Amino acid sequence: MPRLLSGALRLRRDPRILKLPPYLSVLCILVGVVWLFLLPLDEYSRRTYISENALLPGQVHTYFGGSDQNVFRAYKHEVNALVDKSNIEVNDKLESIVKGLGLKVGRQNFTYHSAGNVYSGENAYAILKAPRGDATEAIVLVAAWKNVKGELNRNGVALLLTLARYFKRWSLWSKDIVFLVTPDSIAGPQAWVDAYHDAHDSARVDSLPLKSGALQGAIAIDYTQESRFESVHVVYDGVNGQLPNLDLINSVVNIAGGQMGMGVAIQEMWRHNNQYPDRLRTMLRGMLKQGLGLASGPHSSFIPYHVDAVTIQPFGEGWQDEMAMGRVVEGTFRSLNNLLEHLHQSFFFYLLMQRERFVSIGTYLPSAMLVAANFTIMAIALWVKSGHQPSEEVSKAVESKTAEENPRNPAVERDLFLPLGFVTGCQFLSVVPLYLFNHAPETILTPLFTVFAVLNMALPHVLSHFLTRYYTPTAQQYQLIRSFSLLLLGMFLSSLATLNFSLALLVGLLTSPLTFMQPWPQSPVMRTACAVLLNAVAPTAVLVASAAYWQLEIGAILREAAFAWDVYDMYSPVVVWCVWWPAWLAGSVTVLGKPAGRRSRLKAKAT
Amino acid sequence: MDDGKVTLGRTAGLYIGAAVLRLSLFTLFPGLPDLLTGRVEISTPVTSFKRLQEGLFLYNHNVSPYDGGVYHQAPLFLPLFSLLPSFATLPIFTFILYIAVDLLSANALFKIANSGEAGSSALFTSPRRDKRWSGPVVAAVFLFNPFTIATCIGRPTSVFTTCAILHAIAKAVAGAPFTAMVALSFAAYLSMYPLLLLPPLLLLAYDRQRLPKGITAKPSGLTFAASHLLVVVGVLSALFGMSYLMTGSWEFLPSTYGIQLTLSDLTPNVGLWWYFFIEMFDSFRSFFLAVFWLHLSAYVGGLTVRIRRQPLAVITLLLGIFTIFKPYPSISDSSLFLALVPLYRHVFPLMRYTFLVAAIILYTVFLGPAFYHLWIYAGSGNANFFYAITLVWGLGLSLLVCDLTFAVLRDEWEVERPEMVGKEIRQI
Repeated sequence: MPRLLSGALRLRRDPRILKLPPYLSVLCILVGVVWLFLLPLDEYSRRTYISENALLPGQVHTYFGGSDQNVFRAYKHEVNALVDKSNIEVNDKLESIVKGLGLKVGRQNFTYHSAGNVYSGENAYAILKAPRGDATEAIVLVAAWKNVKGELNRNGVALLLTLARYFKRWSLWSKDIVFLVTPDSIAGPQAWVDAYHDAHDSARVDSLPLKSGALQGAIAIDYTQESRFESVHVVYDGVNGQLPNLDLINSVVNIAGGQMGMGVAIQEMWRHNNQYPDRLRTMLRGMLKQGLGLASGPHSSFIPYHVDAVTIQPFGEGWQDEMAMGRVVEGTFRSLNNLLEHLHQSFFFYLLMQRERFVSIGTYLPSAMLVAANFTIMAIALWVKSGHQPSEEVSKAVESKTAEENPRNPAVERDLFLPLGFVTGCQFLSVVPLYLFNHAPETILTPLFTVFAVLNMALPHVLSHFLTRYYTPTAQQYQLIRSFSLLLLGMFLSSLATLNFSLALLVGLLTSPLTFMQPWPQSPVMRTACAVLLNAVAPTAVLVASAAYWQLEIGAILREAAFAWDVYDMYSPVVVWCVWWPAWLAGSVTVLGKPAGRRSRLKAKAT
Repeated sequence: MDDGKVTLGRTAGLYIGAAVLRLSLFTLFPGLPDLLTGRVEISTPVTSFKRLQEGLFLYNHNVSPYDGGVYHQAPLFLPLFSLLPSFATLPIFTFILYIAVDLLSANALFKIANSGEAGSSALFTSPRRDKRWSGPVVAAVFLFNPFTIATCIGRPTSVFTTCAILHAIAKAVAGAPFTAMVALSFAAYLSMYPLLLLPPLLLLAYDRQRLPKGITAKPSGLTFAASHLLVVVGVLSALFGMSYLMTGSWEFLPSTYGIQLTLSDLTPNVGLWWYFFIEMFDSFRSFFLAVFWLHLSAYVGGLTVRIRRQPLAVITLLLGIFTIFKPYPSISDSSLFLALVPLYRHVFPLMRYTFLVAAIILYTVFLGPAFYHLWIYAGSGNANFFYAITLVWGLGLSLLVCDLTFAVLRDEWEVERPEMVGKEIRQI
């Protein structure tokens, strides 16, 4: 053991060990990326299974159908008559219908302000008291008047009314059932869920006049298609990349796919052959959605409150009718009705790559953690390196030092003040874009972004000039700037990976060039090349590039982000502006830096 | 003269800056105080401001504040906070009180740093003592430490203990042993654990005492210790007596100190106790309580004897150990420990894990709340997540304590063995 230890110590003093970290960092990134691409293989992903035995999906006979079809048609006529009416008129009519069924009805106003726009409306909901329950638990059925694309959800609302009438006839419910109709798909459900949990801002959102027990699950119907459908599409992404319990998705897949015999799709993969490319595409789409953290339907707002929820959308041309859709909902509700406790058995962190294949957090987390670790490795290496003088200055340093230092291991004091101040300054500066883009009115968002992007390109040059002019940082100080900035980045990303894996991985990959950036005082070519590369992966450039790729307007993206920030507290802008941007800024300034030697610095001080 | 004026102006500026920063955080972000008060990292069952409000409400309605088992703090806080205008209508007075307490603590720290006790005590003078930070720097490190600021905004009552401990040290260093003992008694009355600091503080006060004119020989250590122990006992009895008169029963003893001794409130915190005692079978509870307390107090004797020549170092290290192993620690305790660490600027070059410690502490500061969120709000994690991070937090702090101990001892050792200066140590 002592020999081993002394061997390790000798290795520690080996100068070669300091050359290793950049390669180690590259290895971490490569392994992280390759790991991700291995996940869709059969060996790494698993088949889904139901963990919660109480759910028993698809084990009950569903009776929705027959004469309910006529009821559905009648309600469809009522809904059609309301098409061009105002939100209040619609709710008046819905209220009279549902009251006629013998349910209690509540209504709730909400008004959100975001980017100079006003989003307001009125939610209407009804509560079916459980004949066999004690009103301590409830499940929710949601139909938004308009879906996320703004299309009228005619069949969805009509089906909700039909199901309300149908459910009322059954005496087997042990949990209350809440029927919720919201004017839109994002703000309305958000206002309702916030108010249900008394977490609302009463200036913007009214309190609920009527409440039931703890929500156990929610199903949203998004049924705009007029013709008969072939399959259902299950949308499960929640706000900020949170996901519902996998058991809920499995139950829906099991009921729709197994019991009803219809196809089930996820992540807009309308055709899925369960081969590697399709699995990979599904997984990447899921990760992108998770990373952006946007709400994807009425179900999204429920998930932060630990209420598992999905949206079911019919699609395709087939022979399934509204009754089949109703039976899917009925079957799912019967399963949720069986629950003895909150869904908790199965996974909350997973990536689905096909409706029946997934990887769990233990399998995929290492890839994001490796990417985050590469920054930490480099930060530690730079810290160690900054404690050693570059070789040409060592001899002088040793001469001037007293005998108390070991000449073989010339450690130098680190000058911490400037690097710490600079990195802290960058972090604080990041509040500016965060505030600007979340509070500017919509009309000026696009020009504001253009101005910011241009300034952003100039900013590293200005800062670098300012630094060299007034502080003449040494090579050691540049190393320390890099070290601290990478340490912070690695730390933020590894914390983030536990909350939102995909976002951490995306930002980690886009910032990975920062690991290798260093000042190039001798080589203008390298300096320009690095600066160009960094400008290509700047937050602003990435935003422009993705807008061009998906053919979206910058203004629309920023408006959506501001809306998400104001209405449902999406934190992706914080990550972009307060994690990614400062790291990028520190990296860009380092690349442009011209480190002064110790002696020239002393001279500068003397004059 | 000029220098003195400049320092004075700078110090005043420092205090004003710290006060303005805190006041602006209080007023510009009205949601922030309540948010921080609710954080388990800041408010523990024995220091929480929310629980203080509850106790205050009961007290003002002539109900025993300890009814209901929510309030576990010293009874004398109640008349103090009743004197202030109601928090619900005029919160500004509470803010000002907490800011003032922080500034008082900083001022005590300022005096400790300026005395140079850390570098040269009565029995030991470090060869490196010239490289030290002056009072304003040490006070600034304390005042602008994010932990201190978060503590101030979160308003736990532990800030009063911090202030009392720092004043006890400052008075001992200034050669006023009597006042030091009174201050320590207050600290012990408020949170009990500072009583363990008594031995090193007695030594510190003994070493630094100013002898009255005409007397050249120091009194014997035993007489000194006995007389000052009497002071502590006297002050504590007076405080207990006042508490008894105020609440009308001895109920406060089990509700405040008993709770710390028996850990009956298992609210999560950044310490190592709660999880351990949640998991434990009841039959082992009392045994392990004894073991945990024994472990906590075992360091006092050993460190006091081993680093006899630098009592201030013993106090610093003990505060670090308490921060890790106390029953209800919070970041308020770490802010006190981290406030004293800069006094040892001269041994920083001897420390070996500064970067590692800084990185670990930074990581846990971000991962802790994230895992707590996963556990409590998102529901996708569980208690193990948060406990794992508190373990890492404890690891980071204990590395710092070990490293500082190593540096202080090495500093002493290099004076004894000048030939070993600069030689690398090796574990055998």
